[in-house]
Amino acid sequence: MSTKRARPMRKPVAHTPVWVGPAAIAAVLAVVVATFLVIRWYTTPITPTPPSVDTTQQVVSQITSLPASEFESVGQGTANNLIKPVTGTPLTGATGKPEVFYLGGEFCPYCAAERWPLIVALSRFGTFSGLQATSSSSTIEFPNTPTFTFRNATYTSQYVDFRGVESSDRDRNPLQSPTAAEQQLFNRYDTQGTIPFVDLGNRYAFVGSMYLPGALAGKSWQTVANDLQDPSSVRAKAIIGSANLLTAAICKMTSDQPAAVCSSVTIQTLEKKLG
Amino acid sequence: MARAQLAAIALSLAGVGVSLYLTLLHFSGVAPTCPVSGAINCEAVLSSSYAVIAGTSVPTSAAGIVWFGASALIWGWRSDPLHLAWSAIGLLAVVYLVFIEIVRLGVICLWCTAAHFLVVAIVMIAVTLSLRGRGLGRGA
Repeated sequence: MSTKRARPMRKPVAHTPVWVGPAAIAAVLAVVVATFLVIRWYTTPITPTPPSVDTTQQVVSQITSLPASEFESVGQGTANNLIKPVTGTPLTGATGKPEVFYLGGEFCPYCAAERWPLIVALSRFGTFSGLQATSSSSTIEFPNTPTFTFRNATYTSQYVDFRGVESSDRDRNPLQSPTAAEQQLFNRYDTQGTIPFVDLGNRYAFVGSMYLPGALAGKSWQTVANDLQDPSSVRAKAIIGSANLLTAAICKMTSDQPAAVCSSVTIQTLEKKLG
Repeated sequence: MARAQLAAIALSLAGVGVSLYLTLLHFSGVAPTCPVSGAINCEAVLSSSYAVIAGTSVPTSAAGIVWFGASALIWGWRSDPLHLAWSAIGLLAVVYLVFIEIVRLGVICLWCTAAHFLVVAIVMIAVTLSLRGRGLGRGA
């Protein structure tokens, strides 16, 4: 019998196959993407069905006939004052009155948010007709934000003119075009080229919405309108606060007419803020 | 120069090209050549507020030029840890941008996705070399 000691065998080295690293990365990324899709699924408000014409009229009537006490209670609310003084030839409309010019798009959630206070504020100086309920695009940040469109709306007032241009529909198809003069205003005061753009008689202008569209997420038009009746609600503070800022700017354009609107303590205070 | 290294440099340069294209489109205001179908919509992504670096007017794609450009330079050196670290930064950015596309916007930009795939490919090369543990100097 041999006394020769067996040579210890070297343990085989386990090589990691080349494909393991890339496969692991691909698997992790697949899980991450799947997680994102699930989050999107749960967090996206369903595309709301616009209310009927009658209901729309009822909602519009509700938000355009708010009592003066509501505006006084909210003040600036949570609205972010974006309004900046500008210098230029006074902007007048088709009837020769100072004009409020709006340029936006139906797909745009910030435009969707800003239309609410624009409608509320301008309705203190005149009357809208032909407003239609719609919502911002489903494929954009703050999807399906409930709003109204100015595309077929008309506005009459003895104090101001209003012109609203919706450049694209909800699916980003071209819709309406600004005139050459309006395009010049846009180029001059909105150097980033973003919407919404609002020019208040060429005395003030601003870009964007004064509150985040998220305040309207998942809400129906009727719910938003109902919430505006309660000055302590999130939506009242955002929308009526913004409307008060817009009202103050319009009062500056109309030399504080009508007095019933422009002489209120809230509006006078905000007018001073605007400069 | 090792094949993996050359591949990573080539992918980085391709990424510079894609990012440069998207940046030029941003400044020229021209819509990208990209199909619009369901969840695919380059313009929706590139015209969103996320198309620029927060608080600036600098397009996000400009950051892509910087990342891919630096990546091409870094892969010219033999430094596994640096490759891995830079790739990890790129991968985190891709995860964030994909989050924006899917969760916030609900649409995908094909050009952006092309850039994302290039980053992931570079990450895969870096991870593979790192796992092999022999680095570029050994002809990986």
